[in-house]
Amino acid sequence: MLKDITFGQYFDSKSIIHRIDPRNKIILMILFIVFIFLSQNFFALLLACACVFSVILVSKVPLKMYLKNMKAILPVLIFTAIINLFYGEGGKVLLSFWFIEITTVGIYKSLFMALRILLLIFISSALTYTTTPNDLTDAIESLLSPLRFIGLGSAVHILAMMMSIALRFIPTLIEEAEKIMNAQKARGADLENGTLIERVKALIPILIPLLISSVRRAYELAEAMECRCYNGGEGKTRMKQMHLGLIDLGSCIAVVIMCSAIILCNILF
Amino acid sequence: MAILEVKNLTHTYGGSSPFINDAVKNVSFCVEKGEIIGIIGHTGSGKSTLVQHLNGLLKPTEGEILFENTDIWENPKEIRKIRSKIGLVFQYPEYQLFEETVFADIAFGPKNMGLKDEELTACVNEICEIVGVKKEYLQKSPFDLSGGEKRRVAIAGVMAMKPQVIVFDEPTAGLDPKGREDVMQIIKDYRAATNATVIIISHSMEDMALLADKILVLSKGEVYKFGKVEEVFASAEELRKIGLNVPIVTRVFYELKKQGLDVKTDIFTVDSAAQYLKTLKEGKENA
Repeated sequence: MLKDITFGQYFDSKSIIHRIDPRNKIILMILFIVFIFLSQNFFALLLACACVFSVILVSKVPLKMYLKNMKAILPVLIFTAIINLFYGEGGKVLLSFWFIEITTVGIYKSLFMALRILLLIFISSALTYTTTPNDLTDAIESLLSPLRFIGLGSAVHILAMMMSIALRFIPTLIEEAEKIMNAQKARGADLENGTLIERVKALIPILIPLLISSVRRAYELAEAMECRCYNGGEGKTRMKQMHLGLIDLGSCIAVVIMCSAIILCNILF
Repeated sequence: MAILEVKNLTHTYGGSSPFINDAVKNVSFCVEKGEIIGIIGHTGSGKSTLVQHLNGLLKPTEGEILFENTDIWENPKEIRKIRSKIGLVFQYPEYQLFEETVFADIAFGPKNMGLKDEELTACVNEICEIVGVKKEYLQKSPFDLSGGEKRRVAIAGVMAMKPQVIVFDEPTAGLDPKGREDVMQIIKDYRAATNATVIIISHSMEDMALLADKILVLSKGEVYKFGKVEEVFASAEELRKIGLNVPIVTRVFYELKKQGLDVKTDIFTVDSAAQYLKTLKEGKENA
């Protein structure tokens, strides 16, 4: 059950996207997201859609994995779509009930919003599927490094370190949670049935041991790091250096073309 | 009468994903009422996966588990009842403690079975008596106890449900010699008090020799050997082939025999070794 969570899971399909410098990849993804939201009409969004799907294709990660990520966010997606449904003003009124009015514009708007969120999830999954968590945090640290000029250098390093530790321990915690769940089930705990309140109460025997072991693990990790002379980011060098290459140039050009095309669509139609 | 019967059990992890892995392959064995069964096997041989099937935490991909001649999955809604009849103590059970007091933690299992008030108190007190949890500990927080005591309380938490079959997954892992002895004693005491059937996974051949009636040897998810302790330990060579061994005392006698001494090699515990050496010595004096 818990094993189905794929958030931040790296999928090593050795595509060309895997080889893009992670810093570049993050920036391009942000550009992608910005332009998905800048797409104001049907054609622009269609174009963005096509671009996202070509990224998915090129990434060689099975579509099934992307859809799995979508499933987790589905409630939010539906909620947003329904809320937007009621806020379309103008157009033909299709249904009117008390103060609620559903119009053609509303339907159009809600579909538009849902599609945008969907694309957003797909493109960000493409980033996490093709970049290892460690590369991601290294890239974030590197991208934020200009902050050292305003005296935030160590803060950036601490933040990046915290992120990579958090990411590193997600699978460990999931495994641990599963073990504890099994242990409590073996003692007759009922996690599947009961009212909402009963079910929330049933989580206590799992959450408390999990919390305690995380704290224990944190102390152990801190000690292990200190034993290896960790004292913050000062003067730390890397085993893997990041380099920009031809692939990065190519991917930048492709994204810039996409961005200009979307702007063009916005103006023309 | 066979209390527990495993028939052609196969478990495949991963379902349809690319990481298909047969953790347990076509395992069959029979446990008689009141027996102590030891399960040994190399790391990754499927021991833990196997025992999680016994109380229905995992569902067999193929095959079945019969408890008192009924399939435990016959009525999936009643699987929780099975779990109170077949107790399972996980590795490092002290990590499952969560209640504010030792009493409440031990009472968690029986409470889930539906016991209340006096019945519950009586049940907890009785089990504390058996496993030796001191009265003054009952109102303490389980997190204030020492490692060994925590494990004692955690084991008591499973035993409090009074399972007829109790399964231990490496109950002595990570304990000092005194702690190991204590845990072994708890298991013996529980068995003496309830006449329960016991299944133990262990890496310690010495513990197995001391406790078990029969030993199940797993290798790569399959039953490599299943039989009486002396039968299994009689084939030291075969055990060594799959990364296991016989108890150290037995190895001593094997070495002595290799050196040309005429000794038996079916000695598995220190006590029986001492006994045997004594008779040898007496025999010499008499001659």
